[in-house]
Amino acid sequence: MTRDGNEGPTIGAALTRFLGFAALWGVLIRSGQPGDLAVGALTAAAATWASLRLLPPATGQVRFAVLAARSPRFLWQSILAGIDVARRALAPRMPLAAGFVAYRTGLPRGQARNTFATITSVLPGTVPVADDDTGMVYHCLDTGQPVTAQLAADERAYGKALVPGRAHG
Amino acid sequence: MNLADLFTVAAVCAGAFFFLAGSVGLLRFPDALTRLHALTKADNLGLGLVVLGLLPRVDGVLGGLKLVVIWLLALLASAAASQLIARAVKRSEPGA
Repeated sequence: MTRDGNEGPTIGAALTRFLGFAALWGVLIRSGQPGDLAVGALTAAAATWASLRLLPPATGQVRFAVLAARSPRFLWQSILAGIDVARRALAPRMPLAAGFVAYRTGLPRGQARNTFATITSVLPGTVPVADDDTGMVYHCLDTGQPVTAQLAADERAYGKALVPGRAHG
Repeated sequence: MNLADLFTVAAVCAGAFFFLAGSVGLLRFPDALTRLHALTKADNLGLGLVVLGLLPRVDGVLGGLKLVVIWLLALLASAAASQLIARAVKRSEPGA
């Protein structure tokens, strides 16, 4: 899973992804009918092809087992994020101190940083709006909060699940 | 009404509250970027609570798994879409 190379998509990565998409289809459709299974197999094959084109294995890996182990932290932060934004939206004086915060990250550009950006976009008060070679820019609801310290803690927590690869356009 | 029914009613009502709060934020917040926070974060929690409330009513583990997967897919879609919109807004209004 952590193989890194520039030889293009490997058979192993394609098979793993196909099985993952097929399992997803199986959970969503829950049918053993031959016609449904055929459509599911075709859909999983198409999804595998698209994912190998858009996210080649060499651009980085996500360790889903490590990510799953972080799910209690993620769920708790999702709850805090929802409560935080609901409180600000419903308060008569609407306490907002919105602005941009730059964050220097150790994650190189590519799939690892993109996945980190996706995770942090669900966390309290932050939405990633830009990134360059040195770091990322977040839009924050309250720039008075210790945003960079929180993001650094999140990078330590989720970083082990993100294996960097080469940058991909 | 048994305990499972009460749990369902409480969790789904809590979910509806966060959808309402997200919509209020969409209307009240001053610009596109702050509105993104309201929609993604409040709605994700709202949908999560609705799913949580429906879990005791499903037929078996696979039914529950399907609901959780739907929540995760909605979460992934809203996280990806909010980033794309945020980056587009930042590019078109650098000082926003």
